[in-house]
Amino acid sequence: MQLKYAVSALALVMSLGLSASAFAAGPKVVSGPAADPVCFKPWNADTKYFQFPKKDGPYRIALANGFVGNTWRIQMIQTAKAYAAQPDVAAQIKEFKVVSTGEDIAAQIAAVDNFINSGFDAIIVNAQNPAAFKPVIKRANAKGVVLVAFDNTLDTDEAINVNVDQKALGKLWTQWVVDNVPEKSGKILEVRGVSGTSVDRDRHEGVLETVKNAGGKFEVVEVQGNWDEGTTQKVVADAVAVHKSFVGVSTQGGSAGVVRALADSGHPYIPIGGETENGFRKLCATHAGEGLKCLSAGTGPAQVAVAMKTALAALAGNVVPQSIALPLSEVHDPDFKDKENFYSDQSDNFFVGNSFPTCGINFSAQEIMGQTKQDQ
Amino acid sequence: MKTLRLTLAHNAGPLAALAIFILMFAIYIAFHPAGLSSAVVTTATNKAVLLALVAMAQTLPVLTGGIDMSVGVIFVLTNCLASRLVVGTMPEALLGILAVLVAGSLAGLVNGLIVVAGRLQPMITTLASGAVFAGIALWIRPSPGGDVQSDIADFATGTLFDTIPVGLLLLAAVVLAVWVPFRRSEYGRAALAIGSNENAAYVSGVPTRQAKMLVYVLSGLLAAIGGILLTCNTYSGEASATVAGAYTLNSIAAVVIGGTSLAGGWGTAIGSVFGAFILRTIEDLLFVFDLPPLWQPLFQGAVLLLAISVGAIRVFRVKNRLEIFQ
Repeated sequence: MQLKYAVSALALVMSLGLSASAFAAGPKVVSGPAADPVCFKPWNADTKYFQFPKKDGPYRIALANGFVGNTWRIQMIQTAKAYAAQPDVAAQIKEFKVVSTGEDIAAQIAAVDNFINSGFDAIIVNAQNPAAFKPVIKRANAKGVVLVAFDNTLDTDEAINVNVDQKALGKLWTQWVVDNVPEKSGKILEVRGVSGTSVDRDRHEGVLETVKNAGGKFEVVEVQGNWDEGTTQKVVADAVAVHKSFVGVSTQGGSAGVVRALADSGHPYIPIGGETENGFRKLCATHAGEGLKCLSAGTGPAQVAVAMKTALAALAGNVVPQSIALPLSEVHDPDFKDKENFYSDQSDNFFVGNSFPTCGINFSAQEIMGQTKQDQ
Repeated sequence: MKTLRLTLAHNAGPLAALAIFILMFAIYIAFHPAGLSSAVVTTATNKAVLLALVAMAQTLPVLTGGIDMSVGVIFVLTNCLASRLVVGTMPEALLGILAVLVAGSLAGLVNGLIVVAGRLQPMITTLASGAVFAGIALWIRPSPGGDVQSDIADFATGTLFDTIPVGLLLLAAVVLAVWVPFRRSEYGRAALAIGSNENAAYVSGVPTRQAKMLVYVLSGLLAAIGGILLTCNTYSGEASATVAGAYTLNSIAAVVIGGTSLAGGWGTAIGSVFGAFILRTIEDLLFVFDLPPLWQPLFQGAVLLLAISVGAIRVFRVKNRLEIFQ
């Protein structure tokens, strides 16, 4: 009975009046190319371009993060603050505010709504759930707020997404290995990530495609390292024990574990394409003279800076793609330099892929770690 | 005069929670860059009402001396279900809402049957059934997505006449349509009697089995209303175990802050609503005070501890203070 009353009460209240929801235009869809086509690379040929009405700076920018509590997220927040503090960026920003809301999607939505209500000009989001932002996007567009998602992007073509091209990353790592094996034959070890994720799938496709296009007689041996250094070290050691000899390794993560496993098993050093952990680059620099040829590439936590740069460009009235392919931050042998693209005095877990030269973005470890954890 | 004093004393817990909430919300508004506006209040409402409903759902079993570890999961399960059923034309969507409410009540009924007929401990029962519900939620919605009838969603998360958040009205309607009639019924009194002393209630001829059953069914229903509103907030469903866990634990905290005894026999769902509002306002305070992100859990914990201590105000109400030390 009570149920019936509740439903009829709901129907009654609804018939009383739906509050008129404002459907303002949001960004204008224009034709490309983007104002800065080198940094703001469109995801594909079908990507549409946005132009927001030009606003005069300085702007109020917010970062609405969800989950916090691993080194990646903490370094991401530190990097965001470091970027906001760089002189030419600081000149464009009046206020930069960071909020982390944990795993509750309703709390993150409320945080974004709060930023919209408070009149922020742009909001950067690392979304807790790609499907849940439809109503928020509607409200942001109605108020003319620039919404940019990165890392965990949104299932939408109404807000700006900064995507990582995982397949291109898989290709990049593997191309390095293929290019550095002159005889063009032998076994390549592929260390995969957490199975079932789209990231692992896309990177794997890139690896296979590169090997196929390389010609020659390469054979790919797959092991699963789960992006974890300990696991990676073990599975690589096992693979070496079984297969005896590899010509190169393409690894999705835990890259230092690959080098350690090779050293421990007495396997000669071979070309490795891997991620951007500080520990990996340390080993690559140390053993560079012993035949270890590394390429270290990825899109670390510093991608937040690209998202912020995109937001600033959009606010200035520049044309930006709706879906951006993030440039890859890459260093390869013999360019590893201490204090420049890796830091022998920092923890192995620090992500050092912090430079995006095509976007004019670069950070030193000091800049990032030196940021107070205080919000500005 | 005496009646007033007794009423105040009887409702000390919920009233203290209300006072703390008003104080905290006033601080929040005072420091909010946009100040008091219907948009700010609606944003706060949309977030708070979800937890308020789950906290109400938790209150009912707690009153009988039980606990429901599956409220958060039923909340997520009905969210997933609503993202499939509350779609299409208006009549279809309304029918979908009805179906989701029935499904939530059924989930509660399963809990009630196991607790009453199976005579298992509520905590273990609901932990196990919660795992089953989580499995069903994943089966319904393996990856985040789905949709919702947007007129209903925009209405439920919007404002009426540009002033009152609809979410608050819905919450008030639920209190009036579910909690008040229940509390005034024979079963409501029976639920409190069970919490005080189940054996005494049973030998006095109180319908303990029916009351317990009803308590879990209504708990499922309330969680389902929350699940539907979450769907309205997000236009989608997600079978997230972390969200389920967070809401379950926060609902227990809200119940305690609202002055309800975890031992049963004493309390009110209205107190839990204010308890939920307090918890949500603590999060909102993080927005206006610029605290370091890594210190935020510490701050939340400290305020929570303070709020629960005030909830323990009932210490002053006990007739024989020795009871507290037992």
